[in-house]
Amino acid sequence: MATLMMPNLLNFSNILPLAELEVGHHFYWHLGGLSLHGQVFLTSWFVIGILLIASVLAGRDRTMIPAGLQNFMEYVLEFIRDLAKNQLGEKEYRPWVPFIGTLFLFIFVSNWSGALLPWKVIQLPEGELAAPTGDINTTVALALLTSLAYFYAGFRKRGLGYFAKYIEPTPILLPIAILEDFTKPLSLSFRLFGNILADELVVAVLVLLVPLFVPVPVMMLGLFTSAIQALVFATLAGAYIHEALEGHGEEDH
Amino acid sequence: MFDFDATLPLMAIQFLLLVVVLDKVFYKPFGKTLDDRSEYVRSKRLGSQERLDQSKKMAEQYEAELAETRKRAQSIVATAQSEAQKLASAQMAEAQQEAQGQREAVQGEIDQQKRSAMATLDGQVDQLSNQILEKLLSTAR
Amino acid sequence: MDPIVSAASVLAAALAIGLAAIGPGIGQGNASGQAVAGIARQPEAEGKIRGTLLLTLAFMESLTIYGLVIALVLLFANPFA
Repeated sequence: MATLMMPNLLNFSNILPLAELEVGHHFYWHLGGLSLHGQVFLTSWFVIGILLIASVLAGRDRTMIPAGLQNFMEYVLEFIRDLAKNQLGEKEYRPWVPFIGTLFLFIFVSNWSGALLPWKVIQLPEGELAAPTGDINTTVALALLTSLAYFYAGFRKRGLGYFAKYIEPTPILLPIAILEDFTKPLSLSFRLFGNILADELVVAVLVLLVPLFVPVPVMMLGLFTSAIQALVFATLAGAYIHEALEGHGEEDH
Repeated sequence: MFDFDATLPLMAIQFLLLVVVLDKVFYKPFGKTLDDRSEYVRSKRLGSQERLDQSKKMAEQYEAELAETRKRAQSIVATAQSEAQKLASAQMAEAQQEAQGQREAVQGEIDQQKRSAMATLDGQVDQLSNQILEKLLSTAR
Repeated sequence: MDPIVSAASVLAAALAIGLAAIGPGIGQGNASGQAVAGIARQPEAEGKIRGTLLLTLAFMESLTIYGLVIALVLLFANPFA
């Protein structure tokens, strides 16, 4: 349905075979009666593979004095710990490091793989390979997991008393409090999805117009935004979990 | 573009699996390494602090001992000096006294010789004057 | 697709992204100006101010991105087409 709306751009793309603008085309896999977006899974497996290989390679023989890859991965872990500590506080942050850290790493590596790797060289029967975070399914999955995580955090910490936060200052705010639980994952997922897709579209449009050199600064900006978005997602997940742990905390969008 | 399908739950499951696996291969071991290292550094720093204190204390002790030794040495030097001084002055006084005695003895001898010489001279003078007198008397007569 | 619907969709998409850029633009300008003033007043706090500024700019930027998402929905996944 996308191709109908943008005939001019697609005509351009006939002249330049490497620069194509495809939105909404997917490489469908069928699993039983379910349909899957194959290209998303392919790139996400690539990302997961990078993460696992890096951790396994760096963790093979850890020494007291780190060097090379181990040093880098330790830097990464310290960065993640600082992030979680800043959001959750010194006492609570440890059990949440894996979740928040994996959110950050997965999103970050996904975004950068989409921005740095020439996925489009690999031809698929339909659709094209791109960052997994540029697909709404991925971002909504991550955002819903974040919602589940903060509900779980609130429940485990305070049991049913967690629901008191809905009527804590006054019961009048109950609808807004409930609405917040829906807007949180919505804004999280749309922010990430929109940023990544917008990056890819801007770069693709610029490549359509001027194929060489001109898109490079925009690509740089895209790299920067991608990194910041990964940070924002992880930071907000931490902030939501902290809010659930603390109860009637400050609001943060 | 907004077609949700089975990708969503599968991606969520896949992500949770990634969390679990990364926890096994990344967060736990590397976190342990980091904690071990900070613990190691902390204990080492504590130990070195202790050792530093100890060495400082030891240095102070040595310093005190050194000062005491120096003082003692100074006093020994002072007593030795004064003793030597005393000895020297005593010897000097003795020598002087001896010299004085010798000189006095010599002087006494000289005096005696002088006196005996005088006495002899007196005798001779008397004899001579007698002879002169006799001669004079003899001539006068 | 009905030409009226497509014309309205394209216009709406343009308006969505354009209008959604106004507020965050003003907000980002304010935030950046305040950050510069803060850095001028306290140059030693530059690193902290810059980090916070980037994070807040990303939050404001996401408001425009919501508009962009709406525009993209209208263009590529129009429910009325």
